[in-house]
Amino acid sequence: MSLFAFLGTLEIGLIYGLVALGVYLTFRILDFPDLTVDGSFPMGGAVAATAIVAGINPWVATILATFSGAFCGLVTAFLAVRCGILHLLASILTMIAAFSVNIRIMGRPNIALLGEPTIFSPFESLGFDPLHVHLGVIFILVVCSSLFVIRLLSSDFGLGLRATGVNSQMVAAQGGNIGLFTYFGLALSNGLVAFSGALFAQSNSFADVTSGVGTIVVGLAAVILGQTLLSGTRIWVAVSAVILGSILYRLSVAFALSSGMFGLQASDLNLITAVLVALALVIPKMKNTVQCKMMSGRLPDSD
Amino acid sequence: MIDLKDIDVIFNPGTVLENKALRNVSLTVPEGQFLTVIGSNGAGKSTLLGAVSGETPIFQGTVKIDGLEVTKLGVHQRAKLAARVFQNPLAGTCASLSIEENMALAFKRGRRRGWRLALSSKRRRFFRDRIAILGIGLEDRLSDSIGLLSGGQRQAVSLVMATLSDSHLLLLDEHTAALDPRMATFILELTNTVVKEFSLTVMMVTHSMKDALASGERTIMLHEGKIIFDVAGRERQKMDVSNLLELFNQARDEDLGDDSLLLG
Repeated sequence: MSLFAFLGTLEIGLIYGLVALGVYLTFRILDFPDLTVDGSFPMGGAVAATAIVAGINPWVATILATFSGAFCGLVTAFLAVRCGILHLLASILTMIAAFSVNIRIMGRPNIALLGEPTIFSPFESLGFDPLHVHLGVIFILVVCSSLFVIRLLSSDFGLGLRATGVNSQMVAAQGGNIGLFTYFGLALSNGLVAFSGALFAQSNSFADVTSGVGTIVVGLAAVILGQTLLSGTRIWVAVSAVILGSILYRLSVAFALSSGMFGLQASDLNLITAVLVALALVIPKMKNTVQCKMMSGRLPDSD
Repeated sequence: MIDLKDIDVIFNPGTVLENKALRNVSLTVPEGQFLTVIGSNGAGKSTLLGAVSGETPIFQGTVKIDGLEVTKLGVHQRAKLAARVFQNPLAGTCASLSIEENMALAFKRGRRRGWRLALSSKRRRFFRDRIAILGIGLEDRLSDSIGLLSGGQRQAVSLVMATLSDSHLLLLDEHTAALDPRMATFILELTNTVVKEFSLTVMMVTHSMKDALASGERTIMLHEGKIIFDVAGRERQKMDVSNLLELFNQARDEDLGDDSLLLG
């Protein structure tokens, strides 16, 4: 792999690190499997691109994009908390609806951003290499987002959020409003994902309504991969693991594709990811079963 | 203070499964009183506690805590006024958080949870002092995950957690029932210590007639959703389990008598 390809992969890994952070918040912290991200990721791109083309400052456009994602999260939370719809189904409904909304926002299925100003252009005009600029800006934004999430989860509010996914009965008994935590968690998670979508669109100079397909699986892959390699209950460890997982996932995918191993092609990515995630979810369970069997195999000796 | 007035709780009203869990129950527990509640399975003990905590929806009647009408408030809105310890040791604490994080959650019970760090060094010192009351060495393990503790230890921590916020009402829902006898005795003794130390008003539901008489200063017995007797003071001091059983049978027979009159 060339240095150019390596840096590009690193950049994508960092961008999707924000998705992984969002998925970590819903999947791990809130115990709320949230497929909304498949809709909020392209929505972030759509809103940012549309706003930029309309002449709005790219930073403002990025913030607008983040809020659009947070709104998607609120819709899912509303469907789940207020209407009592099954969590997974509520998020699928929002995801499907977001597809139509995204085309409405852009007026067409995709928008090119070539030649338009982005959050990167002020630094590029200083004469730095665009790839380095992208990497640097995205790195700083990902670090800031991670620090924000770590600090949030260490606060009084964050503790309530963390307990909600594990023992909601206890949270209610301690005066915590489960509904409020769910609304907030989903809004924050999808806000991060849409933020990621906005960065992705600006970095790649296009927004496309189909770019959201499989976002949840990629996010899950990053969370599971990261937390398997770097396990720990401390919040900063978990958050770092998730970002690291995203980067490693992208690197291994890029390596597998570029080396021409097993005759893989780029479109095989979704299949491979799905298989990897399935394995990563099943293997820990199989390990337990095997251990149990080995233990019980030893027991009869004492008779 | 708890003030229950004419409480009716009906599960599945209007269906074949209709079950009147509480029938026109009125009960006042004055400030600082330790009340124990006994009764057989399905008598309505836990329902009564649920009516106070907000867990059980009330069909009719009013619930007041410390003079505040809370009938229409949900569990989390009443949490400011009352602390609870559950029967299941796993229910009262959050397994994935550390001991001190669980305590921080309880510290903010019923208050606004903001951006402030949950574990400042000042709070840590406070938690350390409080958990030292238990005398089981947990003060040196504050950052351990609470999931590592045994059921009894978790129940002990739950009791301490119940005292961290300023409410003076403690609701205990058969909180020793899931423990081994030695641990149950320990938790019961601890309960008495904590209640005295923080002068709490207590409503303790229990299966054990012995415990119901040994702890607290007033005992009520529920049967089929009604309070069938209510003893306190000297009369209660003279009682033992056999007296209680006698009273129970007597009350039940009267109940049957009523029914047979109705049916006859």
